[in-house]
Amino acid sequence: MTGRTGFLRSRTLLNLAILLLVWEIVGRMDWIAGGALPGLSEILVRLWIDRADYPGHVGATVYASVMGFLIGNVVAVGAGILFVLFPTLLRLTRGFNIAVFALPPIAIAPILVLTLSGMAPRVTLAALGVYFVTMSATVVGLSQFDTRAADVVRAYGGKDWLVMKLVRLRGAVPDILSGLRIAAPNAVLGAILAEFGGGGRWGLGTYLLGSLGRGEPARLWGIGLVATLIAGLSYLVFAVISARTLGSTRSVTLNTAIPGVGDGTAKPLPLRMAIFAGAALLPFVLWWAFIKLTGVPDLIAKTPFGVVDYLFLSDTSPAAREKLLAALAQTLPITAVGMIAGLSFAFLLAISARMFPGFIKTFMPVALVTQTMPLVALTPLLVLILGRGTSVTLWITISVTFFPAFVLLVQGIQRVPQSVLDLPRAYGASAWQELRMVSIPAALPYLFAATRLTVPRALLGVMIAEWLATGTGLGNLLNQSRGYLDYGMIWTVAAVSVCLSVAFYYAILFVERRTLTHLGMQTVE
Amino acid sequence: MTLTLNRRTFLQATAATAAIGLPRRAFAATPLTMQAAWINDAEFAGYFLAMDKGYYAEEGLDLTYLSGGPDVIPESTIIARRADLALTTPDTTIRAISEQGAKFKIIGAQYQKNPIGIVSLKKNPINTPSDLVGKTVAVPPVNTVTVEALLSLNGIDRSAVNIVPYAYDPTPLVSGEIDASLDFTTNVPYTISRLGEEAQSFLLYDHGVTLFNDTVVVTEETLASKRAELVAWLRASRRGWDENLADPSVYPPQWEETWFKGTGRTIDNEVFFNTAQKDLIVAPDGIFSMSEDAIAKSLEALRAVGINGTREMFDTTLLEEI
Repeated sequence: MTGRTGFLRSRTLLNLAILLLVWEIVGRMDWIAGGALPGLSEILVRLWIDRADYPGHVGATVYASVMGFLIGNVVAVGAGILFVLFPTLLRLTRGFNIAVFALPPIAIAPILVLTLSGMAPRVTLAALGVYFVTMSATVVGLSQFDTRAADVVRAYGGKDWLVMKLVRLRGAVPDILSGLRIAAPNAVLGAILAEFGGGGRWGLGTYLLGSLGRGEPARLWGIGLVATLIAGLSYLVFAVISARTLGSTRSVTLNTAIPGVGDGTAKPLPLRMAIFAGAALLPFVLWWAFIKLTGVPDLIAKTPFGVVDYLFLSDTSPAAREKLLAALAQTLPITAVGMIAGLSFAFLLAISARMFPGFIKTFMPVALVTQTMPLVALTPLLVLILGRGTSVTLWITISVTFFPAFVLLVQGIQRVPQSVLDLPRAYGASAWQELRMVSIPAALPYLFAATRLTVPRALLGVMIAEWLATGTGLGNLLNQSRGYLDYGMIWTVAAVSVCLSVAFYYAILFVERRTLTHLGMQTVE
Repeated sequence: MTLTLNRRTFLQATAATAAIGLPRRAFAATPLTMQAAWINDAEFAGYFLAMDKGYYAEEGLDLTYLSGGPDVIPESTIIARRADLALTTPDTTIRAISEQGAKFKIIGAQYQKNPIGIVSLKKNPINTPSDLVGKTVAVPPVNTVTVEALLSLNGIDRSAVNIVPYAYDPTPLVSGEIDASLDFTTNVPYTISRLGEEAQSFLLYDHGVTLFNDTVVVTEETLASKRAELVAWLRASRRGWDENLADPSVYPPQWEETWFKGTGRTIDNEVFFNTAQKDLIVAPDGIFSMSEDAIAKSLEALRAVGINGTREMFDTTLLEEI
């Protein structure tokens, strides 16, 4: 066994070395986009020259990311536990949760910059990037527990909270850790995005903005690599902790008990309707409350009523509606394609991770770079390689969507208990057969959860591409509206994009419920 | 354990705050906050100089300077009362007054001529607005209004020009992916020359878009309550600008470790910028002045694109008090 892992490790290192060598040669020879991709050594030389600039910027970014990460995660884990203890609360806040996840950061960054001061916008954006991922992971972990262990606790007279303490919280640790793993780079990205727009003096985002005008790719990649390093280290910390704790909490044998339907008895229809209405209304109530609490003047901050007024009741409403619909017609089709592309990419990667662990270990650093490299820094490169058409939008969307889906899918495939895998192996099944007949069907709940995670991100990815490269659709409308001081439109685009994401989410949830109930599986929240 | 530590640090912090806080109150300078339009660069050299030399303090002002960025809409900052005055793009400001009823007054203008222009490469030059037909121009989405003004004033159909987003990076221009970009002509030609190309540019101002830029904007409320402070700010800022522009190459190098530290830009670039902007800032009646003729031209240019500004949106009386 040690021999095999040792072999794998050296193979991984070899692959990584080859990859870096290819990068260096391609960069040095200016083969890609006329030198827009610099060689690794050129980046490192630039980093060394700029070394005096970095400490202040890194310090500011790390501070904002860590604060956002801590605040976001404490809230997220707390909320996750509450949601599992009181499932009604989860249903009631589902709209809010998805809304938080789907908020396009490019739309709320200026609003945060406006309503909060100093580091607060950065910390808030970092925390928002963390909340949904960790909250979902917590709920997943707490719901997917071994019912037999819970039965033991109950048999000895334990109540719900004791089951929570002894079985569910312990069982949830690997899930929460894998959530934190994805959340960590999100926090760094959120902080950098707020720095980029927010006009502070320090932070990697600010440095990036000042450096963009130099037309010097080595500097931009240097900043990207430093951002990646910060995110990568935080990812690594949780990956290591996760690897050490996973073994102790995984079931050794398969639980053959059929999961109960929902939380016991079905609630009467009127109550369910009320909860649904509450879930739909809550985000709007909180939106309204946020504006009233921050006391930002009406001209800048639009309440839900303000947006309705803007879209339907004022003199300029027809023109505004026309602009919005034209933008939606450009954005929506490509979002659907982008979502499928991102999900397929994640699925292929997850299967590869199972089939060719060496390849995936080589690929992981590259994947991480795509997650933490600020897209603004990559845009000139992407535009030069891919142009400003559909392909650049699709690639940006894939890069924004695949990572969380990939991590969830790998987790789903990994969590298949050993005893289940022993069966096909005993019959001499090949790795492909094992994957096709056992691992993939067993990971179906995770595929659905990944799809739900992908939808809002796909819309975000398309909007980012529109903002940076194509100049069409919602992403462009949002930014143009800033030049027109058209606050009504800024809020409208944000609200519409969130509502769409929530609607997609529910559509997938509906399909998921039917399919999984049919197959006798539990829904992964 | 954490409690004792907390208490100790708390006491230390309290003592420190008291030590710093008291003398400041003794000066009794009036606090005033300004919102700049962008990150620290030569565009704001005059203010840096006036702060360094204590010109604001001499006027009894305790100035807080807020840098800008792409997400910072300067007008929004003064609406939200997080700053007293802001440096803005006048087309945006005047549109906000006329269409949204925002209560702003323009009390001065840093640039007599807007430095924004169409920048292209000498080997593929774009010399006039009509050269733009059939070309691809990168424009920061927030500035689309200004380009639409240029096209409309020169009788060019908007759909004849391919406008794509500009992300402040000249690489696509140098590599020929786009034909031109909208940027400060005082700034980006420097980078282009460093990348081994020669830049060709024209000001929007010279083709009908006769606008100021970095207009000094306040809310009517601030104008009423802080008039004396605003006049003092204009006076100190003018002093700073006069001294900075006397020799534009003198001050930027001195700010390498202060105002320009870690901005990601080079000092040579700032010297280039500072030198190039001199003619766009200097005015016969003093820096920040807004002549009746210049105001009329601004309004005329805006009217051509359907923005209805009036003379009342400008208040030149503070400049007279300097």
